[in-house]
Amino acid sequence: MSVIEPPRQGEIVTRTPEELDRLSSTWESPGGLIGWFMPVNQRVIGRRFVLTAFVFFFLAGALAVLMRIQLMRPENDFLSPDLYNQFFTVHGTAMMFLFAIPVMEGIAIYIVPMMVGTRDMAFPRLNAFGYYVYLIGGAVFFGSLLFNIAPAAGWFNYVPLAGIEYSPGLGVGIWTTMITFIEVSALTAAVELIVTILKLRAPGMSLNRMPLFVWSALVTAFMIVFAMPAIIAASSLLVMDRQIGTHIFTPETGGQPLLWQHLFWFFGHPEVYIILMPALGIISTIIPVFTQRPIFGYTALVLSLVATGFIGFGLWVHHMFATGLPQLGMSFFMAASAMIAIPQGIQVFCWIASMWGARMRFDTPLLYVLGFFVIFVVGGISGVMVAVIPFDLQVHDTFFLVAHFHYVLIGGAVFPLIGGMYYWYPKMFGRMMDERLGKISFWLAFIGFNVTFFPMHQLGLQGMPRRIYTYLEELGWGDLNLLATMGSFILAAGFLLSLFNALWSLWRGAPAGEDPWGSPTLEWATPSPPPNYNHAHIPIVSGRYPLWDRRGEESSPVVVGLRDDRREVLVTTVLDAEPHAVAVMPAPTIWPFISAVAASTGFLGILYHPSFFLVGFFGAAATFTMWFWPRRPWRDD
Amino acid sequence: MLVNSVRSALRFSRRWRPCAGATPPAFIAILLQGCSGAQNSLDPASRSAALIANLWWGMLVIGTVIMIGVLIALFIGLGRGWGGTERPLSSRGSFLLVVAGGVVTPMLVIMAMVIVGVSVGREIATRPQSGPIVEVIGRLWWWELRYLDGDGEVIATTANEMHIPVGQPVRLRLTSENVIHSFWAPQLQGKTDLIPGQVNESWIEAERAGVYRGQCSEYCGVQHALMSFIVVAEPLEEFERWLSLQAEPATEPSSDETRRGQQVFLEQGCAGCHTIRSVSEVGEIGPDLTHLAGRRTLAAATVPNTKGHLGGWISDPQRIKPGNKMPSTVMEPADLQALLAFLGSLE
Amino acid sequence: MHSHAGYDARELTRFAHKTHPLWWGILGVVTIEATVVASLIASYFYLRMDAEAWPPPGVDPPGLLFPTINLVLLVTSSGTMYWAGWGINRENKLVLTLGTSASVALASLVLVLRGIELSDLGFLWNSHPYGSIVWTMMGFHFVHVVSAIIGTAVVAFLAGIGYFTRERQLGVVVDTLYWYFVAGIWIPLYLVLCWAPRVL
Repeated sequence: MSVIEPPRQGEIVTRTPEELDRLSSTWESPGGLIGWFMPVNQRVIGRRFVLTAFVFFFLAGALAVLMRIQLMRPENDFLSPDLYNQFFTVHGTAMMFLFAIPVMEGIAIYIVPMMVGTRDMAFPRLNAFGYYVYLIGGAVFFGSLLFNIAPAAGWFNYVPLAGIEYSPGLGVGIWTTMITFIEVSALTAAVELIVTILKLRAPGMSLNRMPLFVWSALVTAFMIVFAMPAIIAASSLLVMDRQIGTHIFTPETGGQPLLWQHLFWFFGHPEVYIILMPALGIISTIIPVFTQRPIFGYTALVLSLVATGFIGFGLWVHHMFATGLPQLGMSFFMAASAMIAIPQGIQVFCWIASMWGARMRFDTPLLYVLGFFVIFVVGGISGVMVAVIPFDLQVHDTFFLVAHFHYVLIGGAVFPLIGGMYYWYPKMFGRMMDERLGKISFWLAFIGFNVTFFPMHQLGLQGMPRRIYTYLEELGWGDLNLLATMGSFILAAGFLLSLFNALWSLWRGAPAGEDPWGSPTLEWATPSPPPNYNHAHIPIVSGRYPLWDRRGEESSPVVVGLRDDRREVLVTTVLDAEPHAVAVMPAPTIWPFISAVAASTGFLGILYHPSFFLVGFFGAAATFTMWFWPRRPWRDD
Repeated sequence: MLVNSVRSALRFSRRWRPCAGATPPAFIAILLQGCSGAQNSLDPASRSAALIANLWWGMLVIGTVIMIGVLIALFIGLGRGWGGTERPLSSRGSFLLVVAGGVVTPMLVIMAMVIVGVSVGREIATRPQSGPIVEVIGRLWWWELRYLDGDGEVIATTANEMHIPVGQPVRLRLTSENVIHSFWAPQLQGKTDLIPGQVNESWIEAERAGVYRGQCSEYCGVQHALMSFIVVAEPLEEFERWLSLQAEPATEPSSDETRRGQQVFLEQGCAGCHTIRSVSEVGEIGPDLTHLAGRRTLAAATVPNTKGHLGGWISDPQRIKPGNKMPSTVMEPADLQALLAFLGSLE
Repeated sequence: MHSHAGYDARELTRFAHKTHPLWWGILGVVTIEATVVASLIASYFYLRMDAEAWPPPGVDPPGLLFPTINLVLLVTSSGTMYWAGWGINRENKLVLTLGTSASVALASLVLVLRGIELSDLGFLWNSHPYGSIVWTMMGFHFVHVVSAIIGTAVVAFLAGIGYFTRERQLGVVVDTLYWYFVAGIWIPLYLVLCWAPRVL
């Protein structure tokens, strides 16, 4: 660390307006229609990810409300069975693949580089590529609903139902190709986040000083890297089964339908934690801000995240307890599944200890975090219950499960996420969101959520399976379903009010200033919204709470000597964040967009004819070459 | 559409009620007994289901205690800071709180749950070595049931209505010839999947006589929702009488009308999909109808087996179960009456 | 709040190779692809576990001759890649061009042999599950060799026009890393496809 120890009488550095202008134009994104397809800056891409993900969230949420209307009374005929099946397939798939992962990655892409004190993601063009891939894949997937050819085999798309024999037509084909495609986007974002976090941190931000949100993004990204390949392999095998007649999953010719379930859940279970993990990071970010004191148990929280990441890979079989696997092996998975309660318990109590006896501001972000506590603990308890095999054999694939995973995913992930949106909105747009609307929206969402999903526990115990478009009146499920539907209207109103709040505050919100919450992390050391280059100087960090550490100081140390006339960022060592190189970041270009178009032509074309694989492959190879091609003049310094 | 849905939310159903079917008087008492929750896992009718229901109640109590404990900790913690003075826990206090709440408590709960879970799991997974064997085959979207003898030979084939002797274990062999289904009669046993290419085993044993409803619980396509069945648990003699009746071929048509009905059955193409033993045995897509008249329900436990429903089902099956495999059959009213008479004679 | 100079980055290299983010990025890609391979190998053994006979009766596993030659060729091509890097470290642009071109040539030979091998397998991807998974794994590797060839051909071309120098050789370093992966991943695939049916 001796190298970066700031000189005691460090020279005071200030940026002249001309210097800032030059820096700003170096990091500027091009304008115009063509320019829209060219930016590579992390904040532009991150914001697009978040906005696109929320569009999908509201669309998929609308499907959920329509499904609730269908189920509000027995033997309803509001939706046809086929349409209902398309709806729940698209709802589940979109919420998992088009909303939850991209929104979390989008926030990480937006926040993490600023939080670790750098100017962009490690691979800006790949970042842009990932976004276009996601946009095209998501749009095609959702678009299939408009033509009534959406997949209807469920979000876990079990074979043989998803095979060509039982799901002819384009629907499942679109599912398999577009999901693979969107996973590519998730994987690119994961690799970038890992490298950005490990290599581009500000000097002095050693691993043990990294903000907890950054830790959660890191663990999430590693989980994506090891979990997603399984689903890519699985869906590629399914595409081949469907399009060129291979026999991997077809039982009548010796294939194995259960192989799909193993591969799917080897991805699918970590997926749940991939969605949950960034939310945990958001909670660990918000709590210290609103208590204005350091979080208790930093190390325990980090270790809990890492432990959750590891254990998350050992649980996949608990989705398959009813498939007739050997009892002994399943008992192992039962114990492993229940074990995940320990790191979660540690986190919850670290947060409680952090809030204990603090003078707190009960602003909207904190309310959403407190709402998390109630909902997530219920979901966690029901999670331990369904890990117990005999009980799972009763409630598996019933509304009890629907209740459980919505408690975990909405309570565990979406509530903190919305809290995080209220928290970071001023940074993104320079204005505060309205507090009163925020509080009303919280209470609507909180009450609506519980009214919607709590009765579903009971419905499941009373024998109501999931994924049914209707049920007979004699079964006595009508009243609770009616209640759940009413709750879903309240919940939707709560979320829509937050949406309205966000739009309204764009124009009418109070100006936020640099740091409206008194936060400790580096993203709040920049103006709101931040300039093109994020930080005027790369800061130097000497603690876990850099902005709090600086309070009362005259001056803070920064890095000098990075050029203003090209996109330079500092590269530091993995563990201690000591500087050891400067990386020159690539400028805006349209090639990532063209690559994404080429690749998506190939992916979609496969549904028409297998030879489109070649179009996609060579198209991508050619455009990648153009994207990496060195431009004259070659650098020679 | 929405307005209609809301308006008719309170409308009463015309559909089958599990307790009000047309059944021989001897069954009425039994039926009423089994009526308190036709598909409710918390109204167990077997030892397995009772064990699991008790497991649930136990876990519910523990879970509620934990929930209240966490909320109390949270509210005390928040309350301590109310009113403007900081009163944080000492770091030792925080440490103890985290260890007690986040490590010790979950560990104890997990250990208890795993121990109880494994022992209950072992108990319900221990399959009986004797008792009738029923092969359950998942079809689109109904259940084929084959009663096997000790050598694996088929004694009788029926659909959607499984009869079992009270107090005797019945061994189930579950498989599918198309997609994955899951066999679940919540009052009797947890679910087991029917997976093409493999045979899963399970068992059920009803402790009291009654009619128990179940339905498919693995999504299996467009009519997953209405792929149901009933399990009729009855005294051993009745079960044996029923089984030997099921093993018989169909009764010969004895009147002109039923003879005409049999002709209609063959002419209208019904036999392409349905088998009636001694009439036509080629149909494989739909249920075996040899003893249709003895069944309580139609369309996989969706509507009661009355003449009216049967007529409606034959004329327009897509109205009752949209997307199912049975086409509408248009025929002269007299032919339909004859067909219904014939089918009604298949006791 | 003022800022003062705490660290001067002027002297830091702008030409990092193995500490450059891109090197780490390629490592990430390699990890992802290796996990895909692991999934495929797991699928292979899962299918085998439930099969009555593996390979199916009357079907022979892939012959040993061509895959073994390919193994040797791929290892050799990694050597020529290493040689190319050794050259550019000494500012020898000719060695770089020759080394990368040699690797491309060797890998192209691998593709030719692989093509012959596939046409001689005696079964197709749609013959049976065994055929499906064998073709998938071979095809997966085939496609990766093609991508490595394309990438390295570009590097060789840039080397030929004198783009790379001892300092400016990030492209060579990351391409070599990927090459080692594509060559190295053949070893487990080779063992699973050619030896597992004979030995296990």
